[in-house]
Amino acid sequence: MNEFVQEIQARFEVLWSNPQRPDLMQIGVRQVNALPLLTWLKSNTGYFILNHFSAVDWIEDGEFQLTYLLTDYAARRSLMVCVRIDRAAPTAESVHHLWPEAVTYEQEMFEMFGISFPGSPRQGVDLLLEGWEDIPPMRRDFDTAAFAEEAFGFRPGRTHTNPRDRVAIAFGQKGFLHDH
Amino acid sequence: MGVEEKGKVPLLPSGVPVGSKPHATDSTLFAQGRPKPLSLDESVAFIKNWFRAQSLNVMAYGTGCGSIELGPLGTSRFDMERFGITGGPTPRQSSVLIISGYLSVKTLKRVIRSYEQMPNPRWVVALGSCTINGGMYWDSYSTIKILDQYLPVDVYVNGCMPRPEALIAGFKDLMDMIKRGEANGYIEYQNNLDWYRANQRKVIKDWNLPEYSW
Repeated sequence: MNEFVQEIQARFEVLWSNPQRPDLMQIGVRQVNALPLLTWLKSNTGYFILNHFSAVDWIEDGEFQLTYLLTDYAARRSLMVCVRIDRAAPTAESVHHLWPEAVTYEQEMFEMFGISFPGSPRQGVDLLLEGWEDIPPMRRDFDTAAFAEEAFGFRPGRTHTNPRDRVAIAFGQKGFLHDH
Repeated sequence: MGVEEKGKVPLLPSGVPVGSKPHATDSTLFAQGRPKPLSLDESVAFIKNWFRAQSLNVMAYGTGCGSIELGPLGTSRFDMERFGITGGPTPRQSSVLIISGYLSVKTLKRVIRSYEQMPNPRWVVALGSCTINGGMYWDSYSTIKILDQYLPVDVYVNGCMPRPEALIAGFKDLMDMIKRGEANGYIEYQNNLDWYRANQRKVIKDWNLPEYSW
């Protein structure tokens, strides 16, 4: 697939490329090149199916990574296009005009990461989290366990989880079985 | 040669020798004690509970992964209809609500609405460890952990996932409780509606349900 990356490189700037498998290539491009590249891939190559579209929170770099997984079913190959966007003001261009199925992905990413896709339908419409008031839960600075404890509480119950402790409580410190 | 020892009479399991005539002190053959008159209310309640226990209609609603167990339970392998348990297509035609597994806050709102639409008497069977203490979703941001704060649960069936046999055992417990008149979660829900509403409103932030979903 390296020839194909060369072909992309001739048109758009490829920051890095990583052949993960013989049939899966990962490339990174700038955000300004993302939509032209995806449009070119969809119109001129076999990679016209958007298999998956998701985000990764790189909190150390202060960036979100958008990952578009495009598949060429005729050649049985996939191309993963990675785009870094600013974490402080996460806004990306919508691709719903290329792939209508991206609408749900973009709706979900707005809800789970707070990434907005201006112009995409159903932006801000609740998908799973109705009436969510906290920061988006898939961001890594969201403390899930603390939120769950505060919101839903724990059922009081046994405090010990080690089976050895249970044996000690039931049969004395020496234990039921001989402890060598 | 299998010949009985002369003079020794075999005994029945109750300890009575074979062939002996029933005697008035034989506790296995005669009721003990004196007749206790039942009031009309008690008689009606006994008959009512008996009939209710024999015809449970389970609402066709699965909230989580546990609903995968309801398929084999309803079909020929584990055939729940031999216990008088059958399906109910809508809340109005159902008497048992199975909370099958994890329950997200979004689903909780629908469950509350469905539960309140069910006619009395109605019962809740909670399935799986997620409904008891959160299970593997103990740190989830969208899954409630203690179901009986939001709905009155009559029977918990633990496991992750419980097998259909466990669910049948839970139904058997529920039927016994109904016959004894102990499965009164729906009365508790009506009497403590304010407490349940406060808990429900605490997790459902965009509360847009009516005062009561008749």
